[in-house]
Amino acid sequence: MTRLVDVPAQFDDRSFDQFAGAFAEAAKDGGRLLFDAHAAEWASPYGLVGLLVAGQAGRGGGGGGGGGGGGSTGTEKPLLTAPTQAEVLTYWARAGFFREAADLFEVHGRVPKLKAQDESDVLLPVTPVRAAEDVHAVVSKIQQRASAILASELGLDPKATMGFAMALSEACQNIVEHAGTGGWVAVQRYHWRQKLGRRVVVIAVADAGVGFRHSLEPTQSKRFGARWGDAAALEAALIQGVSRFRDPGRGQGLAGIRRYLARWDGKIAIRSGTARIAIVPKWDDDVPLKDGLPPFPGAQVLIIIPEPESTRK
Amino acid sequence: MIQHIDVHAVLQESVPGGGVYGDLVTRPTGRVVREQIERAIATAAVARVDFTGVGCIDYSCADEIVAKLLRERPAVLVLSGISDAHREAIEPVLAGHGLAALIEGPGGALETLGAPEAAAVLLEELVARRLAARTPGGTFALTLA
Repeated sequence: MTRLVDVPAQFDDRSFDQFAGAFAEAAKDGGRLLFDAHAAEWASPYGLVGLLVAGQAGRGGGGGGGGGGGGSTGTEKPLLTAPTQAEVLTYWARAGFFREAADLFEVHGRVPKLKAQDESDVLLPVTPVRAAEDVHAVVSKIQQRASAILASELGLDPKATMGFAMALSEACQNIVEHAGTGGWVAVQRYHWRQKLGRRVVVIAVADAGVGFRHSLEPTQSKRFGARWGDAAALEAALIQGVSRFRDPGRGQGLAGIRRYLARWDGKIAIRSGTARIAIVPKWDDDVPLKDGLPPFPGAQVLIIIPEPESTRK
Repeated sequence: MIQHIDVHAVLQESVPGGGVYGDLVTRPTGRVVREQIERAIATAAVARVDFTGVGCIDYSCADEIVAKLLRERPAVLVLSGISDAHREAIEPVLAGHGLAALIEGPGGALETLGAPEAAAVLLEELVARRLAARTPGGTFALTLA
């Protein structure tokens, strides 16, 4: 039996829990999944990479299990109905979504075929990250494409653009080092007129791997005792800089991202399993820690860097 | 004599894809590059580790290469060709470990980067071993060529 998973019309980090809830509910019975995005009006990079994770985890009806899932054993691809609005469809294609989705979903709808130059306004299209070489490629590409845009168009200080590649590299490495499976990264810039009145750059990284709790459990669960769970694992990783490796130099990645974001008034939010943690800047009204969310496989990282107020045009 | 290490060349030679990419990113890359440097400086008293031509260094590589080389101290290390972007990655990593590194500027002047206490000790030790001396301009420079 086919189970329906509605893709929210406005699909971003704010509506992600609604999507995760629908995914968890549909996946628990083990039937084939149909992701219905026909009414989608907008999707952020976070929404797009999250949808790919669901497609990977939901293959053969698996996945959806409390952050420890993600592996799929079936061979039947889930179904995906593509957005019907032409401009939405074109944006998803330009963002590189369908190139990756083709391997994961049986896609229904008229997907436009784009040439490479059609992606030129996208800072980094949806890009797979499976190994260290992929991180090299991502960093190289983002430096070629993004440095000039970040500095001139977004008005970021040149020092901020230097740190941007570092932050991106570290976010991607979390997949390679901890997820136990591949994932995706995407980078886009927007003008957040209503919410912030400023332009922003958004990095979204997602995987369907083992999640933070599973990764840190062998070294951290005893320390947290009864508190141990997805929320405690995220707190250990992001706030305390804990790593599953005993090497004293480990844990530098997320700590470095935090330092970078503190300096440039940015935001990071990480969702894993049933919890979500965020370092919330003054311009945002997100909550620092949420627990008891609908389960979703792997980990999803959102990084937002706003245009400095002093450079607003 | 000072052993000169061209980090960009090491990256190009030792990492798959290094010939295409010029960035020091990821732990595995950092590990391979550090091991190559360790072998090259095994018998040197002073090594000049030159980052000219290296694009981005991330925190993982800063830790895997610079912090680990300094911790293991196979030789006195002097970093050169360091850009502002490189400093952004290296400085917090060293400070976090309580370590300091010597940076050699284009004119040969030495400065320190990292934890201030460790930096003071490092400079004192170099002067005591006569590997560095105060210049007429008031800065420090290596005494070896």
